[in-house]
Amino acid sequence: MSELVVESRQCDEVTLIYPRGFINAHTVRLFEGEIQKALADQRFKIVVNCAELAYIASAGLGAIMGSIEEIRENGGDLRLSELNETVRNIFEILGFNHLYRIFPSELEAVMSFRGEGAHA
Amino acid sequence: MRTPEPVSEAAPAGEVAPLLRLVLPSQTEFLGLVRDVTKRLGESAGFDGETAKQIALATDEAVSNVLEHAYGGRTDLELEVAFFCEGPDFRVDVMDTGVGVDPRHIPKVDLARYATERRTGGLGLHLMAKIMDSVTFSRKAPCNLCSLSKRRPQGPSPAA
Repeated sequence: MSELVVESRQCDEVTLIYPRGFINAHTVRLFEGEIQKALADQRFKIVVNCAELAYIASAGLGAIMGSIEEIRENGGDLRLSELNETVRNIFEILGFNHLYRIFPSELEAVMSFRGEGAHA
Repeated sequence: MRTPEPVSEAAPAGEVAPLLRLVLPSQTEFLGLVRDVTKRLGESAGFDGETAKQIALATDEAVSNVLEHAYGGRTDLELEVAFFCEGPDFRVDVMDTGVGVDPRHIPKVDLARYATERRTGGLGLHLMAKIMDSVTFSRKAPCNLCSLSKRRPQGPSPAA
């Protein structure tokens, strides 16, 4: 079985990314590629739905860190939803919960972009 | 793949023998195996499932560091991961024969700067240090050793 599957879809202006499985040094290119695809399409409002993300190592966190400046420079943001206990703990250990907006549900994350202007 | 030098030898008399020793090709596809084995042994050592997952993450980071930094992405080498229950501690040793990494040269994590400078280095070491009680690096040519240790929740008392 593949360690990671990443899918994405559009919901109005928001790009939803669904990583399913494990993000580490072996699989991070898939995850990073999906983020980069959104940026290449000039889509800077991104929600990563972590409902089926079992685990994320620093390689995956680095992929987020490596793209966030470009996203925010373009008036967008990368937000996260539905973190399980394991992933939430990792975010808290590194203090990522202070750098990124995290929502209990995908709907709340998507709705948070409403009314934030043309780009975000 | 070249025939490797043994990364380590059997434990000398008086030293604790490992619970398990894995010798792995220097390829990221084996990170999943390392993660699963570490979690299983962590739970057997008395850690709850969530803590065992975190120890598995720390081990994943240590092995990833070897693959990226010590071996520079070469996939034809080998590394060893050994697991120990030593008194009250659970310990994971990651050994390689690559370029030694001096942890003093790894930048301190500054998340605010990371967000503006697109820097990502040092996150793995920071995670390892936060999760484990002790992370040490040493070198005894030709081997580098990264040793990760965490106190078990129900370790024997010193008098035991």
